Formats: sequence, structure tokens, C-alpha cells
Amino acid sequence: MRRYKVAIVEPATLVAEGIATIVGGSHEGEIVGLVRNTTELEQLLRNTEVDVIIAAAALHRDLKACAAIEEIPVVGVLSSLIDDEATRKFASTASIYTSAEELLRIVRRAVDAPTEHNYAESHELSERERDVLILVAKGYTNKEIASELNISPHTVISHRKNIVHKTGIRSVAGLTVYAVLNNLIDSEQL
Amino acid sequence: MNKIIITGSTHSLSKEMNIFELIDQEPSLLSVFSRLNIRLPFGDMSIADMCQRDGYSADLFLILCSMHINPSYRPATSDLRAEMLPEVIGYLRASHHYYASHMLPHASAHLEEILEHADNRSRNVLRRFYDDYTHYIVDHFQEEEEHIFAVVDSAANRHDANFSIIDAPHTDIDDRTNDIASLVIKSLPEAVPTALRCAMLRHVYALRDDLRRHSNIETYLLRPLVELYLKSREI
Repeated sequence: MRRYKVAIVEPATLVAEGIATIVGGSHEGEIVGLVRNTTELEQLLRNTEVDVIIAAAALHRDLKACAAIEEIPVVGVLSSLIDDEATRKFASTASIYTSAEELLRIVRRAVDAPTEHNYAESHELSERERDVLILVAKGYTNKEIASELNISPHTVISHRKNIVHKTGIRSVAGLTVYAVLNNLIDSEQL
Repeated sequence: MNKIIITGSTHSLSKEMNIFELIDQEPSLLSVFSRLNIRLPFGDMSIADMCQRDGYSADLFLILCSMHINPSYRPATSDLRAEMLPEVIGYLRASHHYYASHMLPHASAHLEEILEHADNRSRNVLRRFYDDYTHYIVDHFQEEEEHIFAVVDSAANRHDANFSIIDAPHTDIDDRTNDIASLVIKSLPEAVPTALRCAMLRHVYALRDDLRRHSNIETYLLRPLVELYLKSREI
């Protein structure tokens, strides 16, 4: 299974190193950047693919103003009290007292959660999601799917999250079976 | 270590506990007994008596029972000793054998019953998916036995263990096991009778839960024990 790519935005060195050790040391996440503020984050996001950002919750105003984040989920790490309104801006929150296992669960949930703009109560796949699923079943990579459908790799990742959420199936092999059983693809094409 | 209190559970295990009481409270622990090759009957034996009779570490037995009952239980490093490693490896090998020779073929038999009600196309794609899944698991077991379990094999004379082969496959196996359940619930043709689907699902969920416990034991018990063992050989 692909490891999700994590950027950490945290001015406190010990907290940043602790998060990096827990998440990077697990088999789930790969730390692709460790920065101290949103200016450095913007620079990082220009050339680096990121699936989830873990950021000091105290930076919530700067994060809100950071356009480069787009649809990337942000997990806020609380080290002091901030108002409820600010915590609601995050995909989810942890605190400096959260256990390592719980932090990994929180981050994993944030990565897997369907993106807001595509979230629908219906579990029917949209036409675009079906297009992406067919290409996943045929063995295309995210980059190849993006190029084939003329969309960004971030959008492909968003569609894939929605597909996993709606079908309940995570593995490529399982999604391929799903595509065949639901007549989206002929088994001869595999 | 005389007593383990399992957080979030009503169970409190100690070496003085009667074996009958233990099994009566948690019958699923029978699989721990069989994987350790502990023989019945027990009469009125305590855990300590039984372990002494069969030559097992009572501390390790309590750890394995605790990890079986409570998936979030983690043994304390101070409770681990390098000498426990061969017993843990024996236990894990027995688990591998149980999955490969019992659980996976049993699920396959359930699947074949289901496939009798499916069209050719569904039958082929599902059969291929399940075959790939079982091969993946069995190959993974073999890899673990060669690259990790072999540290205690003096003939292999290994001085390291490659744990990188554990983590990603465990997540993959868990994902694929869940995928089987999702496909059975959501996508199989309507012609497949509900009773067959339910029988398959019960088995797949039991397999998933057992594999998760197995994975926890490898990550939180085997791994620190191998590290202790290799360190003890350096001295």
C-alpha cells in the first residue's frame, strides 16, 4: 500500500521532531517536508506532492490564508487552548498529549476522508469517479490518470479517496474486481 | 510479572488463575493453547502449574493471552526476555500453519459455494482475486520465516532481521481481507443466497481479526524480542 506523504508545519522543534518520528517511523506515512511556518510551506508545496499536512493549531490564521493548501487535509496539533471556531477549520485535531497510535489513526482518517467538494450522501460513483476507477483497474498510476483525464494529480487523489469511501474497497486488486462485477470494465481488458 | 490487568476489559489474568476459569471466561483463548501445543486435560491446574508441566514461560503465556483478549494491550519492555523468543516464534509458526492449512482453504470453500451461483465472468475474476490474496499471504509468511524467524536458527547464523518486510504487507493483507467482505456485501450478483454470503462473511471477519492479533504480536512482541535476542548475542 502507498505511504501517504506528510508535511509538518511546526515552529517548536521538539514537537516537530516528535511528530516526524512517530509518523515517519510508522509504515503508513512518509515525511516529505518539515517546515516552521506557512511561508516555507508554500515553497514546499510548489514542487512536492503532499497528501496531508500536520500543523501547529496556533498557526490557524496563517493556514487559512495559505492558498497553496487547496484541498489538502490539515490536522491541527493543539499545544494550548484555542477557540472552538478555529479548531473547526481543521480536518481533525490532535494534541501534544495524544498517544502515538491515536495520532496515526487521526492522520490516517484525515487522509482517507472524502474531500468536502466531492462529498455526497449518495454512495453512487460520479461519472468522473467511474473514469478514474476504470483507469485504476487497468493499472494506471495517479500521474498517468491525471494526464489521461487532463486533471491534476491532486484531483485524482481526491477522486480515489471518494471511490474508497463509497465502495469500501482499498486495494487496487479489489477495485478491479469491483469494476468488473459492476460492469465498468470487461475482464478481457485487464 | 505476577499479574496483568487488561485495560478496557473485565479480565484480570494472573499465574495463580485456574485454567478452567480462564477458558470459561474467554473460550477464544483455546487457539492460544493449540498454537503453543499445550495438551489437555488440565484438571484443577493453575496457569503456573500448566506452564511448568509443559515447559513454557508463564510470563509469556500471560502476555500472549492478554494480546489475544485485548488488541490494544502492549507488553512492557521490562517484562520481555530474550529467552522467550523461540517460544514466540513457535507460536507464530503454528499460526502461519493454521491460516495456510485451515482458515484460508476454509474461506476458499465458502467462496466456491458462492461462485456456483455466479456467472462465469464474476466467477473468474473473484477466483483470481482470492487466489492472488492467498498466495500473497502465504508468500509473506514464508518471507517472515526466512528473514526474521531464522535469527534463532543457529545454522543460519544471522546477525540481523529485516523488519521492513512486515509493515506494508500487514496493511495490504488487512486491506485485502476487508475488500473481500466489502465485495461479498456490496457487489456479488443477487443470485447468491444470503445464507452463503453470511457464512463467508463470518469466516472472513474471524480471519481478519485473527490476522490483526497476529500482526500485533509480530510488531509489539516479536520485534522487541528479536532486538533483545540479537543484542544478547553481541555480548
